[in-house]
Amino acid sequence: MRRALFAMSLLTALPAAADVVQLVSPRPDSVSVTIYRDLFALITETRTVDLPAGPVTLVFDGVVDTLLPQSAVVADTNRAVNEANYDFDRLTPANLLKKSIGRSVTLWRTNPATGRARQVIATVVAANEDGVVFHTADGNEALQCSGLPEQLTFTEIPGELKSQPQLSIHLAAGEPGRRQVKVSYLAHGFAWQANYVAQLGERMDLLGWITLDNFTSTAFRNASVQVVAGKLNLLSAEDDRGTGVLGASEDYGPDEYLDEDRDMAVEDMREELDEEPEDVEYYFGCYPMGFPKQVITAEDVGSLGYMNNTEALQRISGEELDEVIVTGHRASMAVRENLADYQLYRLPNPTDLQARQTKQVAFLHKPDVRYERFYSVRLGSMYDFDESFEPIVPTVKVGWVNQQSDGLGEPLPSGKVRFFEQSPAGSVFVGDDRLSDSPVGTPSEFILAQANDVAFGVDNLMDAGNSDIAPGPLSWLTRTAYLPVHLRVTNAKRTPVTFELRQAPIDDFENFRVKDASLPTKRKSGDYMWRFTVPANGESTLNYKLGGRVPD
Amino acid sequence: MRFPARWLVGLCSAGLCSAITFAAGSGEDKQLSLTIYNGNLALIEHVRPITLETGRQRVEFSGVSAQILPQTVNFTASNLELLEQNFDYDLLTPEKLMEKAIGGKVRIVRTNPATGAESSETAEVLSTMGGTVMRIDGRIEVLRDDSLPARVIFDKVPENLRARPTLSVLVNSSQAGTQDARLTYLSRGLTWDADYVAVFNEPKGVLSMQGWITLSNDSGTGFVNARAQLVAGNLHLTDTELRGIDRDNSATRRAAGTEAGTQPQLGDYYLYPLAHPTTIANNQKKQVGFLESDDVKASKGYEVTFGGFSSSDEPQSAQVRVRFSNSKAGGLGAQLPAGVVRVYARDSKGQPQFIGEDKITHTSAGSDIALRIGDAFDVTVTPTLSQVTKINKRSSEYQMSYLVRNARAEAVTLTLRQIGLWRLNEVRAESIKGRRTDANSFAWDVPVPANGETTLTFTMRQSW
Repeated sequence: MRRALFAMSLLTALPAAADVVQLVSPRPDSVSVTIYRDLFALITETRTVDLPAGPVTLVFDGVVDTLLPQSAVVADTNRAVNEANYDFDRLTPANLLKKSIGRSVTLWRTNPATGRARQVIATVVAANEDGVVFHTADGNEALQCSGLPEQLTFTEIPGELKSQPQLSIHLAAGEPGRRQVKVSYLAHGFAWQANYVAQLGERMDLLGWITLDNFTSTAFRNASVQVVAGKLNLLSAEDDRGTGVLGASEDYGPDEYLDEDRDMAVEDMREELDEEPEDVEYYFGCYPMGFPKQVITAEDVGSLGYMNNTEALQRISGEELDEVIVTGHRASMAVRENLADYQLYRLPNPTDLQARQTKQVAFLHKPDVRYERFYSVRLGSMYDFDESFEPIVPTVKVGWVNQQSDGLGEPLPSGKVRFFEQSPAGSVFVGDDRLSDSPVGTPSEFILAQANDVAFGVDNLMDAGNSDIAPGPLSWLTRTAYLPVHLRVTNAKRTPVTFELRQAPIDDFENFRVKDASLPTKRKSGDYMWRFTVPANGESTLNYKLGGRVPD
Repeated sequence: MRFPARWLVGLCSAGLCSAITFAAGSGEDKQLSLTIYNGNLALIEHVRPITLETGRQRVEFSGVSAQILPQTVNFTASNLELLEQNFDYDLLTPEKLMEKAIGGKVRIVRTNPATGAESSETAEVLSTMGGTVMRIDGRIEVLRDDSLPARVIFDKVPENLRARPTLSVLVNSSQAGTQDARLTYLSRGLTWDADYVAVFNEPKGVLSMQGWITLSNDSGTGFVNARAQLVAGNLHLTDTELRGIDRDNSATRRAAGTEAGTQPQLGDYYLYPLAHPTTIANNQKKQVGFLESDDVKASKGYEVTFGGFSSSDEPQSAQVRVRFSNSKAGGLGAQLPAGVVRVYARDSKGQPQFIGEDKITHTSAGSDIALRIGDAFDVTVTPTLSQVTKINKRSSEYQMSYLVRNARAEAVTLTLRQIGLWRLNEVRAESIKGRRTDANSFAWDVPVPANGETTLTFTMRQSW
């Protein structure tokens, strides 16, 4: 009776499976990888398939296993796509057992004295985190609880378990023949960043590098590789089924935070690759016994073929940048084009992007850039005029304007700029700072260091020992006060230097104004600003009055 | 299915047969219907032939969702009285097996490690706390505390220990024979979302849009040959809160539409029935197309919003938005279920490249939509608060200047919003004519020439 029922169900199940042909495309003919800064990439594969006239299921093997299924698009099939499926019931020892519940397996038992293995037909009755129970002609038993070497073997792998996540589409019937279909999807586990090397001399030599990472286990042969610079709006991958592994873009404040998080995430990914493989998840559990439970670890199972890529990955910018510059191929630079409102850089030639590989390529070389080195102080509080507080040390800054007439005039994606200067001993690292996305026409400034030979002093004539404004010069009628400021900048260098002083509004005043300056006054981002030259081994002074209305 | 039927024989001798006797064939659905909602919920209906005898008996259902909400189960069949419904999730494990054997008998088969000879004894299980204590032939011993091999063989598996959580009903049938029983229940683990692919052709001002339904099944169970329909809408459930009203200046939906939709409706929801029966494997994500239009009128806009008056050294990027309408005239004429829209643009080689994503809520037909794509690399704004002047005790004037740079090869217009103003506000002077957008905000459309810049200045008086 039961047998008969089984046969019936087979009959009803088979026709549905038989009239759809399954066609496996083992690998793409060519692939394009576009890497974005937010740790993902767009993969576009071209695959050739020989389509039959009838309906067909196309299985795409070898897709990147970090793909976001909801982003997958199959185009150019010339047929209606009935549905696309992404299966990721993985073939693991645990899943193999779970899928075998109620199925027949072979139990191998080795006699410890004779060493002879005996095989018995068994049925898996239960398999879960707490152990495996099977049934044989003898009765019911738990697996690996007897102390005898016991092993289950399976005659076949349940069809739904895949060694790799699998993307497939069901196509309606249509014209038969050879077609090139395009499979595109977003996948996590990629990163790129821009790094700049600036050699400071009379003029600046600016070199831009793209460093890109493939953290996935997929290798791309002969791939065309692009990177995209710009801030895409992304939704959180965790909360909104979006693409952003670091969360939603709109939740990010200043770019520095995003950059930091991004760098940390990249470091994490790098470290993950170095980690020991996790213990193999395997159902193992017994009834209480007089000795501790045995745990199967990866070591028992043997090497799983994990490779140590640490060395390969550690070879990256930073300390070894000098070397990279020396060996870099300046001739083959990435080429830029506009993509919507972003910049796209195309690697010059198709390249092999290996699994877990870091690649570097130059994208910009401007050998003759006009720049300015100057010393800068920004005052913005009454405490700045108080000698009992820490003296203000000027910072050394480098500034440039991203324009063609100054030898630049190229969009510059955000990244770290490392500054080098020629010394008798060779090129010396003198500091680094972050560059934000810089479109053509915008000025940028970088902090190099604290000044040593250029000092700044306040000869204040007013009594500003505390943040309250001294009542002396205050006009009682208008409650308006203007306090004189006398500044002196000394230069111990053998060359003259440019000094920039910025006076920001001070909160103690309403209607804050600066007047009666001894030098021409400019404005910069809401601040009052003066620029002047301090002669070699000399000093310069600046006087002005600041003030406004004193609050009631 | 692929396996020989002999395992069933094995199960019968294992003492499991009594449990499935009445449920013969109950793993096969004659008809399976799924109604899947947006928020991780599905209504599942199985129609299965069951063979009943007269009298009290148990009917067991295998292949139901592992994430079934047992309190929602409804079982209907004719000529029977439903006595009780059970959902057993006491999982069969080696430990439980031994625990349930307390007071009962098991067989111990020892293997002599020197000779390999096997000997069998019957043991009574006394306790399983911290070790299995047994009585064998009048002596008490702890299982395997000598660490020598010893198999424990159980003749029966207790009926209420299950390999998988199992649903069963106890019925009293007045008629013997085979009939179709109907089992419906709600389950977690099945959900769907809409995903849109929009390729933006900027020069032509056209979006080519595809909408996909992405079904995902994490229920722990596969569903074979199911008739599925999807319900678009936010249901109120007691354990979830409906989303509050989004009154955000950066909202995606700019104006709600009034056109009728294209799909059958159920109450306030839209229904999307799948055309063909489908099989949804466990841990599978399935995509089915539901919308396609190559000719949706769209335009691009730049927007930036400031919530206060301050200066910044760093230029701020303008937001890029792609605007379109899902109206008939706009080329779509269909309601859009909530989901993620991924926008692509073609590069110089004609290949679509991803340029950003945004989410939309359930959007009625005829609505105006402005998708946030990302930040413009080449359109930036540098704000400067040039002067603050106190007019009197209760009012101040803020003189703002916004430097808008455009490094693109074509002229652009930037919509600059100043939001979050105080109760009384007034523009005293402005370099470009702006407009009041609501009680607390103003907007200016700033035209910027190609590779050029425009400075917007205004003086805003605020009083309180």
